[in-house]
Amino acid sequence: MIWLNIVIQGALVGGFYALFACGLSLMFGVLKVINLAHGDMAVVAGYAAVFLAPRLHLPELWSFLVVVPVFALVGYVVQRTLIQKSIDRDPFTTLLVTFGLSVVIENLLLEVYSANGQTVNIGSLIGRSWHPASIIYVSYVSLGVLAAAVLVLLALQLFLSKSGLGRMIRAVADDQEAAQLSGANYRHIFGIAAAIAFATVALAGIAYGMMTQFAPTSGGVNLLFAFEVVVIGGIGSLWGTLVGGIALGIAQQFGAHINLSYQILAGNILFLLVLAVRPQGLFGRKNAVS
Amino acid sequence: MSLLQLEGVSKKFGQVVVGEAITFQLMQGDAVGIVGPNGAGKTSLFGMISGDISPDSGVISFEGENVARLSPAKRARAGIGRTYQVPRPFEHMTVFENALVAAQQGARARGHKSYDIAFGALERTGLGPLANRPAGSLTLLHRKRLELARALSTSPRVLLLDEIAGGLTDLEVNELTTIIRSLRADGIAVLWIEHVVRALLSTVDRLICLASGVVVADGEPKEVLASDAVRFVYLGGKRIDEDAS
Repeated sequence: MIWLNIVIQGALVGGFYALFACGLSLMFGVLKVINLAHGDMAVVAGYAAVFLAPRLHLPELWSFLVVVPVFALVGYVVQRTLIQKSIDRDPFTTLLVTFGLSVVIENLLLEVYSANGQTVNIGSLIGRSWHPASIIYVSYVSLGVLAAAVLVLLALQLFLSKSGLGRMIRAVADDQEAAQLSGANYRHIFGIAAAIAFATVALAGIAYGMMTQFAPTSGGVNLLFAFEVVVIGGIGSLWGTLVGGIALGIAQQFGAHINLSYQILAGNILFLLVLAVRPQGLFGRKNAVS
Repeated sequence: MSLLQLEGVSKKFGQVVVGEAITFQLMQGDAVGIVGPNGAGKTSLFGMISGDISPDSGVISFEGENVARLSPAKRARAGIGRTYQVPRPFEHMTVFENALVAAQQGARARGHKSYDIAFGALERTGLGPLANRPAGSLTLLHRKRLELARALSTSPRVLLLDEIAGGLTDLEVNELTTIIRSLRADGIAVLWIEHVVRALLSTVDRLICLASGVVVADGEPKEVLASDAVRFVYLGGKRIDEDAS
């Protein structure tokens, strides 16, 4: 029963990891940009839910209805201006720019909202859970986040494989110059991909705030987890991201069961094992690594 | 009115001249071959026409409009189709999706019409039976055909073919030239860089010879090949050595 609980709790956390990592995976897969500000943007979404949504007389639980579209818009604009400019200069510039962005965001948040921990207030829902067996408690919030992750990944998968715009995104991800020759304005497509990535990171940031406390500096450690998820699952595979997230969650719960201080260590060990045994990730294509 | 017209198009990469006052024009339905030694600036010329490379100076007009400052995507939509020397399919998509992207973006077609255009281009290039194969699994001949099919799906008025016969067997070259001749019969102008001169001669009725970015001959294929300037470029002395280095 203990082991079953570890797997269940790990899978629940893993849902959040997958939701959080899919934007990172998309940015890297399509734009070839490693967004070092990814974690901080999630934190910004959390603050937006806590401080801005109440001004719109919106319960914090439903704040994502406003924050997610706004983030999508911001994503498009940031891509077409700041990130595109740095892509045009040279790929390494994007690393510097997103790192700079990360530092700026963190310090602005510290300046404005202080280092105090915040949570997205969802009322009594936070304490409720489903209790199927003696020691197993399934938190409704975590279950909701896992469901959201599966839905988002399913929607993304369908969008990319079936829709015309999704097909364009895949074409641009494969070869942007050839896509241009086929008449595609790749900058616009990049903008749309970034908008989707920003939207998912906003959702993840708000989900994080519902599950636990966050502070301006929470972005960094979560970014590390997101990288691990993408590598474990395999770059460019959305289902890989889900499985990677769940695998990382279970590994962490397993480590925590042995000794609470082993939680992050166990995740890192899984990450290193995958890198050593299957560097393309569980669902990755072999040539994606080269 | 000419379909495509270049006037004094020049480009330098540092000290390397890839285009020096290139001037020529192409009428609707023309088929023109481009020959010249390696490094003569042939592919760069295509880059300047399709928009990958922006020329330092000169005018490139397509259907009477100067397109020299337009993005590659806009030029593709306007009707300039191009194939790459080394095929660059979208490897993780099917053959059909490759053509469909071009039909929807390049030809601005929607729904069923885009499917018709894409499938028509695949049929035309003999890729119909392979439509659902992943493009990354294709052989060289099929990749070259896919390059052609993708360019065709943008509904071009002029096709820029970059060594599409290179690396193929005689039989395969014959199949490709048959396709290209049929496209020309439909009124698509063809500008074709090729080292396989026999393939060129079977299809084009005009030849341009480039050397070090300069048009050294332009005219009847047989006359161009026999001209002193071209013989000098290919056979004679110093100039070739400079290009090779």
